[in-house]
Amino acid sequence: MNAVTIVFASTALLYAAACSGFFVHLSRGNAVAGMWASRALGAAIAAHAGYLGCDYLLLGNTPMGDIYDSLAVLSLMIALAFLITMRRHRLTVLGAFITPVTLLMLLASGLRGSVPPVPEGVRSALLPLHVAVNLLGIAAFALAFAAAVAYVIQEQLLRRKHVIGVFQRLPALDVLDSIGLKSVTAGFPLFTVGLVTGTFWAARGGVGLSAGQSFGLVAWLFFGSVLLARVAAGWRGRRAAIGTMLGFLFLLAAIGGYLLRDLHLG
Amino acid sequence: MSGKEIVVYGISHHRAPVSVRERLAAEPERVGEELRGLLDGDALSEGVLVSTCNRVELIATTADPLRAREHVLSRFNLRTAPERVDDFVYEHRGREAVRHLFRVASGLDSMVLGEPQILGQIKAAFSVASQTGAVGPLLGRCFDRSFGVAKRVRTETEIAAGNVSVSSIACELAGQIFGDLLERKVLLIGAGKMSETAARSLTARGATLTVVNRSLERAEELAKACGGVPRPLEQLATELAAADVVISSTAKQGFIVTYELMLGVVKMRKWRQLFIIDIAVPRDVDPRVESLRNVFLYDMDDLKRVSQANLAARERAAVSAHAIVDEEVVKYDAWLQTLQLTPTIVALRERVRDTVLREKQKALPKLGELSATQERALDAMCESIVNQLLHAPLTELKQDGQGDGSPKLVEAVRRLFRLEIHTPAPAAETEAGLASAEVPPRRPS
Repeated sequence: MNAVTIVFASTALLYAAACSGFFVHLSRGNAVAGMWASRALGAAIAAHAGYLGCDYLLLGNTPMGDIYDSLAVLSLMIALAFLITMRRHRLTVLGAFITPVTLLMLLASGLRGSVPPVPEGVRSALLPLHVAVNLLGIAAFALAFAAAVAYVIQEQLLRRKHVIGVFQRLPALDVLDSIGLKSVTAGFPLFTVGLVTGTFWAARGGVGLSAGQSFGLVAWLFFGSVLLARVAAGWRGRRAAIGTMLGFLFLLAAIGGYLLRDLHLG
Repeated sequence: MSGKEIVVYGISHHRAPVSVRERLAAEPERVGEELRGLLDGDALSEGVLVSTCNRVELIATTADPLRAREHVLSRFNLRTAPERVDDFVYEHRGREAVRHLFRVASGLDSMVLGEPQILGQIKAAFSVASQTGAVGPLLGRCFDRSFGVAKRVRTETEIAAGNVSVSSIACELAGQIFGDLLERKVLLIGAGKMSETAARSLTARGATLTVVNRSLERAEELAKACGGVPRPLEQLATELAAADVVISSTAKQGFIVTYELMLGVVKMRKWRQLFIIDIAVPRDVDPRVESLRNVFLYDMDDLKRVSQANLAARERAAVSAHAIVDEEVVKYDAWLQTLQLTPTIVALRERVRDTVLREKQKALPKLGELSATQERALDAMCESIVNQLLHAPLTELKQDGQGDGSPKLVEAVRRLFRLEIHTPAPAAETEAGLASAEVPPRRPS
């Protein structure tokens, strides 16, 4: 066990602690649990930044150098984006949906065994831009995903008239809907740039579409149609939420595709 | 007699009929005057009078609870004559009085469990009493704690999480759908007391109001009263298409908002959410409307079920709320005990030191002329005797005060050394004076 592994493990543990705290907060309405979960999340973010620093200084893994480093940066950005949004609205409960995503991504980023970094020949000036905009876009989509999950739950509770408990703790339907709209609106252009640069780069390298890239494209189509339907046809609520959720699942599949490809390479 | 304790005398909705409560309740602007009347004479020292439609109670400090009770009851009976309050009055003393105050402030003793208004009423009563000059440090601290306890109960339990009245549930649900109600359009169909209340609480949160009624005259009347716009019944479909929240309560048989009507309305609305509250019996809105996209329909039965579920949740939360109150009473008690401890320690030290110094003075003439060194040695010896003698008892006393039991040693030391701890005049109550005020009255042996 080296220092980096220890920092990595403590980061994961802190995320797990925050995640369980948010769940208790959501299901039991325990304000104290919510407060501790927020603190644990803050600590996890600090540890996470520390982990990235150690990883770079001690092991020489540049942030965003390969898919694993990028994932680690991505989950940090999602957590950070959530922490900031949480403070602005009554959104602490959404932590129950977003911390599992960050934890999962962090753990996936730790899968790196003996995977070689992106071969020198394929590297280009576009790579950092490509990775950075993709990460920002996905972070925004992750927020939209959490809001969409909460929306669907909230709407079901309202229809079934179970309006005490969890229903009272989650944000209002309209608030969730507008968070979803704003996040997708913010994420879409970023992700589009990411996709275009990626395609350009892959075409230059003469590589065909991998599974990861195809899933990424499907995700882009989903988010694009949700956005179009929202703006042009006035889509709102449940349908937009489900579209957002599906889009994000394809996005996760795209990331999974990249992970598998790189593992295979190793 | 040196000790003062907190006492509570009052009547509440639990036992006293409204005929007695309404006679005893003081109008808000006359509470201060009434309080001065109650504190007249020397039976009570500090006092706060809480007067609401569900309870009237005096929280006070007294050195003589029996006389205080007699005094308060006679004042109460004077107000309620010819009825008498004797059978309905509750009385709490010392720790139980503190517990009672904590519970009342937290809404645990209210008619609607957990309702938040009582805290505001107690705060108002406390501020009136403060202005009247009727609050000393003892009550001040106790009320201050009660506000803290109420806040703790509210944040740590879900005692006030859900509403229980139909109109506030409607309002809360609208808030959970639309978030901010600012500029949201509320449509009132028909006129009724309950729908009017609900509409008023929605407009109070920034929503705009439209009233549709069969008689336009009545619609105009209601719209004027609630600050809305009247519309004839013929425009119902247009208004439904524009609205966010609909409250329907006509006295008509059969559906006013039919499924067919709503099919067209939903097309016009696109995907905007619509919250319909049907509080009419028989119902105004076809229940099939509920299946339409982004339409949420609640009828009277639904709202009542929510009310019952919320009440049940409050009762569950009350269990942990009571535990919080008990915990805070223990903390308050511990604080009181440390207050008793300090003057006892001071008095004990003074008693021993006085004795030693007096004996030294007596002995001095017999010792003849002393050199400066000898005099210093004598002083040091006296000081040392005082300190060594007191070291063990003081340590024991301090430890005794930290436990959760009653401070038996404090009382024992006071009796063993015949320590007199005087109560200073109320006007000049200092920290030490306050401390001595809390000594429980010693029973004549």
